[in-house]
Amino acid sequence: MATDPRELAAPTTPDPDLVAVLTELFADYRATRATPTAVVDLDRGLWQRLEELGLTRLTGSESAGGSGGGWVDAAALLGLAAAAAAPVPLAEHDVLGGWLLEAAGLPNDGGLRTVCRPDPSGVALNVTWARDASSVVALWEDRDQWRVADVPIDRVGVEERRNLAGEPSDTVEFDLDDLEAGIVVDHAIGEQFHLRGALARSAQVVGAMERVVDVVLAHVREREQFGRPIGRFQAVQHLVSDIACETALARAATDAALARAAASDWTDPGMLFAVGVAKSCVGHAASVVVRGSHQVLGAIGTTLEHELHTLTRPILARRSEYGSLQDWDETLTALASSAGHDRLWTLITTGRAKTQRP
Amino acid sequence: MSARLVPPGARELPALTELRLEVRAFLAQQVAAGAFVPHVDTWLTRWNRDFTRELGRRGWLGMVVPTEYGGQGRTYLERFVVTEELLVVGAPVAAHWIAERQIGPSLLRYGTEEQKQAFLPGISRGEVVFGIGMSEPDSGSDLASVRTRAERVDGGWRLTGTKVWTSGAHEADAFFALARSAPLDPAHRHEGMSQFIVDLRAPGVTIRPIISMGGDHHFNEVHLDGVLIPGDRVLGEIGEGWSQVTSELAHERSGPERVLSTFQLLAAAAQAMDDGRLPTDPGLGRHVARVAALHHMSFAVSTALENHEDADTAAAVVKVLGTTGEGDIADYVDTLTATGWALDEELDTLLHAAILQRPGFTLRGGTNEILRGVIARGLGMR
Ligand SMILES: Cc1cc2nc3c(=O)[nH]c(=O)nc-3n(C[C@H](O)[C@H](O)[C@H](O)COP(=O)(O)OP(=O)(O)OC[C@H]3O[C@@H](n4cnc5c(N)ncnc54)[C@H](O)[C@@H]3O)c2cc1C
Repeated sequence: MATDPRELAAPTTPDPDLVAVLTELFADYRATRATPTAVVDLDRGLWQRLEELGLTRLTGSESAGGSGGGWVDAAALLGLAAAAAAPVPLAEHDVLGGWLLEAAGLPNDGGLRTVCRPDPSGVALNVTWARDASSVVALWEDRDQWRVADVPIDRVGVEERRNLAGEPSDTVEFDLDDLEAGIVVDHAIGEQFHLRGALARSAQVVGAMERVVDVVLAHVREREQFGRPIGRFQAVQHLVSDIACETALARAATDAALARAAASDWTDPGMLFAVGVAKSCVGHAASVVVRGSHQVLGAIGTTLEHELHTLTRPILARRSEYGSLQDWDETLTALASSAGHDRLWTLITTGRAKTQRP
Repeated sequence: MSARLVPPGARELPALTELRLEVRAFLAQQVAAGAFVPHVDTWLTRWNRDFTRELGRRGWLGMVVPTEYGGQGRTYLERFVVTEELLVVGAPVAAHWIAERQIGPSLLRYGTEEQKQAFLPGISRGEVVFGIGMSEPDSGSDLASVRTRAERVDGGWRLTGTKVWTSGAHEADAFFALARSAPLDPAHRHEGMSQFIVDLRAPGVTIRPIISMGGDHHFNEVHLDGVLIPGDRVLGEIGEGWSQVTSELAHERSGPERVLSTFQLLAAAAQAMDDGRLPTDPGLGRHVARVAALHHMSFAVSTALENHEDADTAAAVVKVLGTTGEGDIADYVDTLTATGWALDEELDTLLHAAILQRPGFTLRGGTNEILRGVIARGLGMR
């Protein structure tokens, strides 16, 4: 039996060089950006900068003009961008839209994409960044088949709306002919889309929550009341500790799902459970982190000029995308109860819950 | 990104999973054969010396103890999967838990060669059973205030004082006692304390049961009336008791027993939902998700311990989240059950035991309030 720890466990951390580049890039962005606004629009300058660095197509295959990055690196990018509240559609354009185009064998000219799943009548709600895209990648379920269509923005109707974060979150109406002309893709693609979207959102929310922890820590050191920094008060320490613990749990759950995705290229049958665990832990953590951080920051944290809402609003907006918290808890409940007494632990360790009964 | 509270995660590789499945298969066969009845909180409340010895025979005790001391010379990661499997199946592991978890590692770090030879082989065979004598009637969270006195005498030390809440003292052969070997200096409260290896059968030791609120006997009061401790039963250095005790906390706090004490109840509830005996409710999924995430987090801490990295804060994070969650599972299942609606003996037994044990989850091994302070220190707030 092996006792070399390297044969027992494999670390799954992102490329440290990439993390260093991203950390610097977003620190720079944070330092130079304008003061926060209630309404958030695409930052084209930042998008261009990311494009030049090959970061807008991080996960695209090299043959398709991408950087060939995996999910662990992509999640680091999503998380650090979210921590900087960077208004750029990295998830929509690259890990979801770019992936669908490649899966369908459709060309990708690099123009800004967003992504959605229109209903049978061709309408998609809450399509983030639709108004800014040059075309919309649609995944459409049509009579037992999944189709992918890359529809130019001038061929769809866009009704402009905004989400809780103040970001574009538009209603998009397609011409059914355009969707029907989409390329048929494997069922696995259609099924994976929801999981990929949910995990991308989890990575973003965790990244933002980690930044909230930093903002909170800086505040409790600087802000003084009763003649001392408020971080000296035990009640405050306990609030902050809970915020940090929930964030750490959400991170552990998200990283575990990322590791499983990366190790199996999303083919592991345990992905539904792993993503559900991430989405559930992230979603419940969001309640504690948003509530607690606003409490610790006091009145200043409720103002437009303060950074906090640029994080807490997207945290809440994104935790409800690609399935509500309740939806995911119900999915996990179904998996757990079908696993039953004897296979619940197998479900937790492998993500698979095949019942042994007929 | 902020400095991480918890080390990054790692993926379990097939060599480890193989061990996991081997243990799992053995335990399933033991349950089927009626060798034990699965229960909750078994690592503190279910003693079975035969079962413990059988684990020793199979090489699943003393896993991180080097082979020259009768151990297995394996890794913390391997120990981790074995302990997880034992806990989830609700096996009776209290007889070896404390010795295996913290006495062994402490002896390895601070023990003399003679002490290692004397105790480690027995611990690894599951034959020598230990307890922990830290708490006292007037010293709980504030351990530096312990009053048990150690006085130097010819040939060793005499211990006088009272320890309380000593889990399993009535079954144990020995315990580690934390005592004052020099008078308290209010300016340096953590100095002047030492650890002693106390034979619980020695003259002057009186063990009285303390009955828990459910009527069971798990912990005890241990009265030490001038008990003679031979000079070679001092653990580590005289005066270094505090740093010795605190240096082992990561091992004591980060393990799966801080997450899985009520796993059998969670599994029974999942089954009951499938059978329609409990209403289907998304809270089940939420609790399952937290257990799964803590499984990854606790594993990550094990990898850090394996690499001899500092994991005190991370261990506190696991313990706060884990003990809160395992207690919440008890309360959650309770909120789903209606008395007078259905008789479900198995679920009731597990539920009642879990609810009665629950208050202890967030107290033992350092209360959650104290641990939040540890985390706040890790975050640089104090
Ligand atoms: C099931 C069980 C098994 C145990 N087994 C053992 C054993 O084998 N050996 C052993 O030595 N001990 C054992 N203990 C004792 C355990 O370690 C203590 O209960 C624990 O350290 C707390 O001490 P206390 O109970 O005296 O509570 P106290 O320290 O009196 O605390 C009471 C309350 O005050 C809070 N509090 C105290 N100080 C602070 C502070 N500075 N800031 C904020 N809040 C504070 C605590 O969090 C708690 O909520 C066991 C306990 C239990 C419940």
